[in-house]
Amino acid sequence: MKNGSRLAALGGVFVAGALALSACGSDDNTGGSSAANAPGDVNCVRGTVNAAGSSAQKNAIEEWKKLYAQACAGATLNYNPTGSGAGIQAFTAGQVAFAGSDSTMDEQEAAQARQRCQGNPAWHLPMVVGPVAVIYNLPGVDGLQLKPATLAAIFAGEITKWNDPKIAADNPDANLPNTDIKPIHRADESGTTENFTEYLHSVARDEWKWEPAKKWPTEAGGQGATKSDGVVTVLKQTQGGISYVEMSYATKNDLQTAKIANGSGEFVEVSEQSVGNALDTAKQVGQGNDLALELDYNTKSGYPIFLVTYEIVCSKGLPAEQAEFVKAFLTYTAGEDGQKVLSDVGYAPLSPALAGKVRAAVEALS
Amino acid sequence: MSVMTGERGEAPTGGGTLPEISFRRRAADKVVQALVYAAFVLAIVPLVSVLWMVIGRGLERLDPTFLTHSMNGLSSGDEGGGANHAIVGTLEQVGLTSAMAVPLGVLTAVYLVEYGRGRRLAKVITFVVDVMTGIPSIVAGLFVLAFWLLALGFDYSGFAGSLALAILMLPTVVRATEEMLLLVPGDLREAAYALGVPRWRTVCFVVLPTALPGIVTGVMLAVARVMGETAPLLLLIFITDAINANPFSGPQGSLPTFIWYQAGDPNPQAVERAWAAALTLILIIMLLNLGARLLSRLRKPVSR
Repeated sequence: MKNGSRLAALGGVFVAGALALSACGSDDNTGGSSAANAPGDVNCVRGTVNAAGSSAQKNAIEEWKKLYAQACAGATLNYNPTGSGAGIQAFTAGQVAFAGSDSTMDEQEAAQARQRCQGNPAWHLPMVVGPVAVIYNLPGVDGLQLKPATLAAIFAGEITKWNDPKIAADNPDANLPNTDIKPIHRADESGTTENFTEYLHSVARDEWKWEPAKKWPTEAGGQGATKSDGVVTVLKQTQGGISYVEMSYATKNDLQTAKIANGSGEFVEVSEQSVGNALDTAKQVGQGNDLALELDYNTKSGYPIFLVTYEIVCSKGLPAEQAEFVKAFLTYTAGEDGQKVLSDVGYAPLSPALAGKVRAAVEALS
Repeated sequence: MSVMTGERGEAPTGGGTLPEISFRRRAADKVVQALVYAAFVLAIVPLVSVLWMVIGRGLERLDPTFLTHSMNGLSSGDEGGGANHAIVGTLEQVGLTSAMAVPLGVLTAVYLVEYGRGRRLAKVITFVVDVMTGIPSIVAGLFVLAFWLLALGFDYSGFAGSLALAILMLPTVVRATEEMLLLVPGDLREAAYALGVPRWRTVCFVVLPTALPGIVTGVMLAVARVMGETAPLLLLIFITDAINANPFSGPQGSLPTFIWYQAGDPNPQAVERAWAAALTLILIIMLLNLGARLLSRLRKPVSR
């Protein structure tokens, strides 16, 4: 049939084009990349593994898989940042080898996960910590101290002057100016906003009436800026401004950070150390190597505003080649080489105590 | 024809027998003319501005590296990298889609027009095709996800994506082909029958070649439509930064999902890649269109 041959010719164009493209295509992008963070010694397992889940840890995973692949050519991890819920679903349906999640699985999900792991329990392994710093621009006032209720009232637009009695009560020694407070927030959707509003929502429900969300609630007002870099730029130009960013942005740009009162009423500066302290007070709600944590925003020790994201993995029961890859990859990410990468991409490493537990758990994977 | 109408139109005015056209009618004519031009400009503004934006911003990163390299081993904040894995994925997925949907669609249309007129089965098929036209792309994606991936247990692959795209493409092809076959004059068929040509040969060698240019145009529109389809692919082909030339196994990239992921990334380098990928997609669709036009022109039936 003539017609058939024409259509076949069209199909041939497609196939030939695709083949030509893939023949001259290259996966080699090693041109100008630096080896500063290259992992020293990884257990190299080649293969391709799929994972999905939390977008909050996307940048960390991206950096890890890049560095891991540099040390171990032919190892490909495909991480789909679909969000925690979708990630857990894909995991329990058996479509991905592990899931990234900001929250722990509920009982029903855990039961499905057990089924997916052929009757073995799935473990939560904390891998990435995301501390949020409260930054401000008020020359002459260093070490501003804020209680959660005051912080929420400022961002809700209820406190509008820096010398408001509530702020003064938190800072008895500071010389507060009679100027307007200019709250700045992320205009785009952001995991940082979600962490921060989640914190405000759980500790200051009277002052902060909105649900936690990736998008800043418009009713709360304030000035918007795009991306963390934008927030930093606007804050630097705005005297009297206050905002929130991932901790690494605050340290990198040498900004004034506020001390936040934790559950014991102590005002704590944000740092890897103080976040680690708070992390150590979190209660382990999982059994044995299942390191599911119950975070306490009213923690009695350490800095309270942060988020922990997990990798959810089968303790046993994955097909051998996948299990081997997952174990090798997580051994790298939980190890010192992997954790030290985190500060460069906007996160904080696990506290030494927790990292030890995670390494032991990864070791026990099979 | 045009010469004749010209003569007819001029004759009365030349003779001067009719009164001058009234001011009211001339004004109405001008107003409507202006409105039509305004509508034309209105319709062209979005098109031009989209093209302008895409070309202007896409050219910044549309270089050989972009076309020949994948994103393997790069994080989104890094310079360089490219969309080769996505281009390969899109071409293979759309190729597979066309291989499934075009023959099926054309044969369905042939049955509807040539064999099934007035039969109950044909009515049912027409109805089902109409319903399929209205299926939102995400629903097609969810259907394949539930059926192919969850129920039958296959893995993410480019082929899963093309299954969903084929569902979307099929009704468009059937509709377009049906319209074109209906336009083929009945005289041609009768002439063939009169010469003793059997029905199937009439369809193959008279009807289809006559309708071919129209069918090709319809198919190309359908290809262009599914090539930009994002939602089902997000569910079905997963995500990968490496080139995977095998659409039947493992995650594949595709241009629409590549644009989606890169444009949603906060790093300016990723946004530049998204623009370049958008331009690439437009260029590929344009090239395919040109190629198909050329093909159907070269193989045009002998002019009568």
